[in-house]
Amino acid sequence: MNIDTFSKLQKEGLISDEEMQRITHTENTRLFSLHWEIKTVLYLGVLLLSGGLGILVYKNIDTIGHQVILLFIALLCIGCYAYCFRHRPPFSREKSESPNAFYDYALLLGGLTFVTFIGYLQYQYTAFGTAYGLATFIPMVVLFATAYYFDHLGILSMAITNFAAWLGIAITPMQILSQNDFENNALIYTGVALGIGLVVLAELSEKRDFKKHFAFTYRNFGVHIFFIASMAGMIIFENYYGYWFLLIAGGVYLTWLRAFRDRSFYFVLVAVLYGYFALSTFLAHLIFNHLDETIYLAFMYMIVSTVGVIILLINLNKKIKQ
Amino acid sequence: MIAWSSVTLDNLYIQDEADKAQQQGCISPETREAIRQAHPVKLYMPNIFTRVGLFILTCIVIAFSIGFMTLLSISADGGWTGFRAILIFAALLCIAALEFGIHEKKSYRSGINESLLWSAIGLILTGVIIENYDIPPTAIALLIFGLTFLATLRYADMVCAAAAFLSLLAVIYIRLAGPTDTWLPMFMMAPSLLMYLVATVLVKRKALRHYSNCLTLLQILSLITLYLTGNYYVVRETYSIAYDMTFEPGQRIPGESFFWTFTVMIPLVYLFLGTRKKDAILLRTGLILVAMIVFTIRHYHSIMPLETAMVIGGLIMTGGAWALIRYLHPPKHGFTYLASDEPGMADKLKVESLIIAQTFTPATGPADPGSPNFGGGSGGGGGASGDF
Repeated sequence: MNIDTFSKLQKEGLISDEEMQRITHTENTRLFSLHWEIKTVLYLGVLLLSGGLGILVYKNIDTIGHQVILLFIALLCIGCYAYCFRHRPPFSREKSESPNAFYDYALLLGGLTFVTFIGYLQYQYTAFGTAYGLATFIPMVVLFATAYYFDHLGILSMAITNFAAWLGIAITPMQILSQNDFENNALIYTGVALGIGLVVLAELSEKRDFKKHFAFTYRNFGVHIFFIASMAGMIIFENYYGYWFLLIAGGVYLTWLRAFRDRSFYFVLVAVLYGYFALSTFLAHLIFNHLDETIYLAFMYMIVSTVGVIILLINLNKKIKQ
Repeated sequence: MIAWSSVTLDNLYIQDEADKAQQQGCISPETREAIRQAHPVKLYMPNIFTRVGLFILTCIVIAFSIGFMTLLSISADGGWTGFRAILIFAALLCIAALEFGIHEKKSYRSGINESLLWSAIGLILTGVIIENYDIPPTAIALLIFGLTFLATLRYADMVCAAAAFLSLLAVIYIRLAGPTDTWLPMFMMAPSLLMYLVATVLVKRKALRHYSNCLTLLQILSLITLYLTGNYYVVRETYSIAYDMTFEPGQRIPGESFFWTFTVMIPLVYLFLGTRKKDAILLRTGLILVAMIVFTIRHYHSIMPLETAMVIGGLIMTGGAWALIRYLHPPKHGFTYLASDEPGMADKLKVESLIIAQTFTPATGPADPGSPNFGGGSGGGGGASGDF
């Protein structure tokens, strides 16, 4: 806080002497926080340490042996969970505050090591044989249980990702477009269903008042998966593009309604952008494919429509702020 | 000079300060409301999502508009001159749109502004340089400097400020780098050091308060360039690329011991001064540059295998951080480990400019709220406060 600014405000009579005193006191006694710096160093240190240890183990796997590593991972996982069980806040349907920062990381590490353990087991010993589904199903169940029991949003995201992996879809943000084979028809239907399912879960969390704060995470994943999958459907199933467009339009409408009720500009933006993309694809199919000399028209359309979306977004921003 | 009215920007600052004071419980919500009423801000400042969206959309509009004009010009057959004219014309249109947005719509850091400004500069540069092989490099660097400097003065844009400083350094380098000159690194250090000192003085000047973000960025950048001009790796590689001096591995370069000392000492000096003066800029730049020390040394002397170095480094860092947290548990010497209770602290310490300085790319990556953001504290993952 800038003392000069506030003393000017004081002269204008906007803040009282008592408030001015409080500001001066706070400002003069404020300590220089090294929080950000120390945390960064700590994070980098852990990263280096785990990376280095990983390489060391990898190079010496012959002398160490897989069982020892598995045992180590299992012990780490059990240790983390034991710590969290000891310190966990009582279960509640609402958001429960975590006792300390370390608790969150311990829980996260516990979840990660559990997934690693199952993956390692399957990869090295094919413990689940050819029932590949089990290798993703078990971590999914455990992660969902952990997320709800200990109330952790990071774990919930991992659980949702695992759920999608169990269904055969990669939904981590970096891989959603690169790792999925959209030529695969079944995948598109699964994606649409998964998206709708997650949004329904979000609605249920809010309606039943059970872990309300999980709703955003569910909805966020659900909306994106739904739109990307149905967009892929619209492009792949060329003969039925009209139906897919209707589906997307319905999704945009519902997202839009919900976003306005929650006053969430993020979902308004998502609805507008996906809707715009779908509409453009639809028009391209409907008009541009049947005309000659369309390139000028297409350019004009792109320029005018994008300007239109910009103006729409600006106005919506004002509307939501009110 | 600056595009927005000075009073409005001052009011914006006052409102921010009032918000901070209220969040710390120094003033009552009523007082804050009174301050907001007395110092109104009429600017269009969208939230971060809209900003990113508008930036991308504006870029699309500009790209397609130029494409459209080019299509028209192909039929008119104007050749390169015609194309050049189109680019310059488009740049002028961008500037006109930018000025219109600022004056009529009060657009401030809206994503549209950045997109129009950077496109305009890029278009002018392309228009001048394309298919034009006679321009000396100095002229290009000077042109970039001129454009970005004017843009910084008018729009107080941080990316433009950074580009202006770097192009100025480029001009100096091109002018100085004559035939083999062992004193070149020393000459290059002077402008960086000067820039840092000047920026440090200017950032406190009241008349330049609207440029404080740009000046902070310049402080960080000049600290980094100052270090790089004397860094052993940079010097050695510059010598061998620019002057065709071939160094055998192990062969000494002129002033070897000086550059090694410089490489190792400067980040430590930054850290020391940062701690002494409680200056976050020096402290953080120093921290980042410590990584450069490690990189430089390891590049020439592989003392131990990578994984051993990683484990030892990790142990030292983790242990050091742990010890510091312990040591600062009751805060000592005015330092604390506790997160700053001032919510706007991240702004004040210019995290944004630090990130820009590190990557030199406009911060336009959409903050994907889907990525699990494993936060500490109350376990806020997935950006899940749900109220944006």
